Amino acid sequence: MGNGMGNIPQSGFNLYFHPEITPSPLEEPTFDPNVGFTNGRKERVMIATEEEMRSAKIPLEDRDYCAHHLLKYQACRKDNWPWAVNCEHEKHVYLNCRYDDFLIRMKEYERERRLRVKTQKEISA
Amino acid sequence: MNFLTKTFTLNKTILPGHTFLVSTIRNHWNKDYKPGPYPKNEEEWERNAKKYNLHKSEYHPYPDDGTGLGDYPDLPMISADSKDPFYPYDNPELRRNFEEPLHAEFDVMRLDRVDVNAKFRYPLWVMLAQFLGVMFFSCTIITLGEYVKMFHPLVPRQYPKEGKTYYTFEPIC
Repeated sequence: MGNGMGNIPQSGFNLYFHPEITPSPLEEPTFDPNVGFTNGRKERVMIATEEEMRSAKIPLEDRDYCAHHLLKYQACRKDNWPWAVNCEHEKHVYLNCRYDDFLIRMKEYERERRLRVKTQKEISA
Repeated sequence: MNFLTKTFTLNKTILPGHTFLVSTIRNHWNKDYKPGPYPKNEEEWERNAKKYNLHKSEYHPYPDDGTGLGDYPDLPMISADSKDPFYPYDNPELRRNFEEPLHAEFDVMRLDRVDVNAKFRYPLWVMLAQFLGVMFFSCTIITLGEYVKMFHPLVPRQYPKEGKTYYTFEPIC
């Protein structure tokens, strides 16, 4: 409730009233990804290959950095059917991966926003 | 088949000579449905009142201005919903007594149709104001929402693709 009534509308109003410091949800980050990290950041690694995802008919929207967990989960479901509940572990791992992916996107957005605020302050100072 | 043959034979033999039967059966209409001409004098006035089972003082035909209904009486609009439900009517389902004259628009005032004498809980202007208020409020919110699109504070979804690198937030030590 707090997110739906506070945070999400807040982001809309921020984008309307302060577009210079609020990144749109449709644009990629504009700053150098390694700013503020002395040795840089670890890259995200894609484990599932295009071949695997294609042969498993994974929907295009699910072919992200968690696709290898999804492959394992779907394979487990196929092996255990109709006792799909036996795949709870695989499902949990997959959903946790998606949650972490969400967190990374949230952090990336907030990083972009704070860097924009910082740039604005430097310009006005 | 025999039944069909018989029916057609019956039609051929009986119907041609009887115009009344033809018009009632084929066209669902007979001459008694049509009101007579507008009464011209006092005598016709009284005769028409009697024809429609009304007292002379109750009988007022529709004005003869080109849109009237001949000698048909302009009865008060009382819908079946506002009639006494406990009265022992001859036709309880129509709330009508035998030979009681019908209003010209009787078919819209039956129990299963409109209650033209309905008394509303609120006056019409209050209901109109309520309707317009709700519409105005909704339109305002929707119009504002067109300009202020709310969203989750997130960057677009990250998919692996050629020439594009995404990073975790783990620093390289």
